[in-house]
Amino acid sequence: MPLAGLWVVAAVLAMTAGAPAHAADLDAGRHKAEPCKTCHGPDGNATTPGIPSLAGQPAIFTHWQLIKFRDGRRKDPQMSAFAASLSDADMADLAAYYAAQPSRPRPSPTDPEKVAIGGRLAEQHHCASCHRPGLVGHEQVPRLVGQDLTYLVKLLRGFKAQTAGDLDGTMSMAVERLSEADIENLAHYIADLSGRSARP
Amino acid sequence: MRHVAVVAVLAVLLLGAFPASADDPPWKQGMPPELKDSPLAPIAQPPAPKAPGEIPVDKIKLPPGFKASLWAHGIHNARVMTWGDKGTLFVSSRVAGNVYAVVDKGGAREVKTIAKGLNLPNGVAFRNGTLYIAEVSRITKMERIEDRLDDPPAMTVVYDILPRDLPHGWKYLAFGPDGKLYFNIGAPCNICLPPDTHANISRVNADGTGFEYYAHGVRNSVGFDWHPVTKELYFATHARDWLGEDVPSDRFDHAPRKGLHFGFPFCHQGDIPDPEFGKTRTCSEFAPPLIKTGPHVAGNGVRFYTGAMFPAEYKNRAFLAQRGSWNRTQKSGFRVMMVTLRTGDVPKYEVFAEGWLQGDQIWGRPVYVQEMRDGSLLVSDDYAGAIYRITYQR
Repeated sequence: MPLAGLWVVAAVLAMTAGAPAHAADLDAGRHKAEPCKTCHGPDGNATTPGIPSLAGQPAIFTHWQLIKFRDGRRKDPQMSAFAASLSDADMADLAAYYAAQPSRPRPSPTDPEKVAIGGRLAEQHHCASCHRPGLVGHEQVPRLVGQDLTYLVKLLRGFKAQTAGDLDGTMSMAVERLSEADIENLAHYIADLSGRSARP
Repeated sequence: MRHVAVVAVLAVLLLGAFPASADDPPWKQGMPPELKDSPLAPIAQPPAPKAPGEIPVDKIKLPPGFKASLWAHGIHNARVMTWGDKGTLFVSSRVAGNVYAVVDKGGAREVKTIAKGLNLPNGVAFRNGTLYIAEVSRITKMERIEDRLDDPPAMTVVYDILPRDLPHGWKYLAFGPDGKLYFNIGAPCNICLPPDTHANISRVNADGTGFEYYAHGVRNSVGFDWHPVTKELYFATHARDWLGEDVPSDRFDHAPRKGLHFGFPFCHQGDIPDPEFGKTRTCSEFAPPLIKTGPHVAGNGVRFYTGAMFPAEYKNRAFLAQRGSWNRTQKSGFRVMMVTLRTGDVPKYEVFAEGWLQGDQIWGRPVYVQEMRDGSLLVSDDYAGAIYRITYQR
């Protein structure tokens, strides 16, 4: 390899490894979020079934998901391609921007019987211990309220299949004993909360 | 009457009449009533390393004569450290998915990412020019890596007949005195009756042959080392969560031979039967801990000191980095302990370095220790993404 090429490789490696914590910039994040609006909604509240809402997500959570998409540990045709071009600073800005957007109600067609069973499951499995009361999320733990039924089912199935980008196995442990019916009931319960809740 | 009531309450608390519902997910089984609505959750790993200005290294408190400095930074989620033959420090990560090479350029350190997107690549070990990397379900290697840090070779598989479970699936990896690669296969849960294939320390030849279990009943050990003189294995173990604020204690263990059982999931800290799994077994069946290292302290890196820089009494002492608790209201750990083994007496167990915890706030988490050739000690911090160097001057 010519010397100039080597220098570029070294510089790129040094940048990716050594980039220190970046002070997130909300305005920059708003600008960088332009391409996200088509799917995730103009303010991070998605309306298309199966697409997650990003509004009100804790910044640490969103940042980690982008890292996972960029390095291929979480895969999605759109997101993998988008994240491939992001720098660490881009991720910090995007995550901070979406964390600051208020989460709005997200109606899904839910079955009251499944909602009731799901509510009991959520209590038995102590979802609120990490996701916090009202399932509004905290630090690395995502906000669940605001997601729709289709996405919630897909995500819980993904944790069972180890394709959902679990950071360190905590969710794999949590879903280990869930049956397919449990997954559906839990998703109905959370989707019902999403339809009713307007808290940020 | 009052005494009877008190005894009854105590019995309920101690004998583990915890409402361990069969529906509880494994990581919450055995949660005592007072912790039922606990908001305790694992501490968030920051998504980026801290800048040097955000790392208050002067807060690290050490015995007289010792001094800590920031040796390297910007190493996202820095975990296990191992030396290459030519002086490269290889550093693993866990959730960041990266492996790094740190090249010492005199006054400064250059950090290169040599692998990324890996599945919790916590284990790194080096021998004969080759770097070995342990992910959740495979061990791979990069040959002649130090000659091509800027153009790393493909990772080739050494051994990949391993469970895919993510919970406690990340591994510590080290060469034993027998030249074999040792690693943990953790319990795939907080507390459960694990399959026969889990909750152990295993070993395999460097060419991937001769796999065997070495120690059993080990919930999860992500740090071990061999005594410089006796060549016997010592390891740190994380105990289960949700049994209480002050129990069970984590452990520092001694496995002088193959085949010992250390009690998981039947018996914790050598003397507390598990409320659910301990009913049919007794603690005396199992190897007790050499040291009860404290509840939820999360002992990770273990390293016996062999250098000449520190005072003579430090020779053959073990350093034990404790990454710190999450399942405890009052945080514990976040320090480096030291263990002095004594013939015919219990080991001495005392603090070496602390200060990452200030009140109830943490600014870093010491996770692994590694000696430098000059006898100074490196301590990695996966929370700040940094490596500290501890030196001694009389």
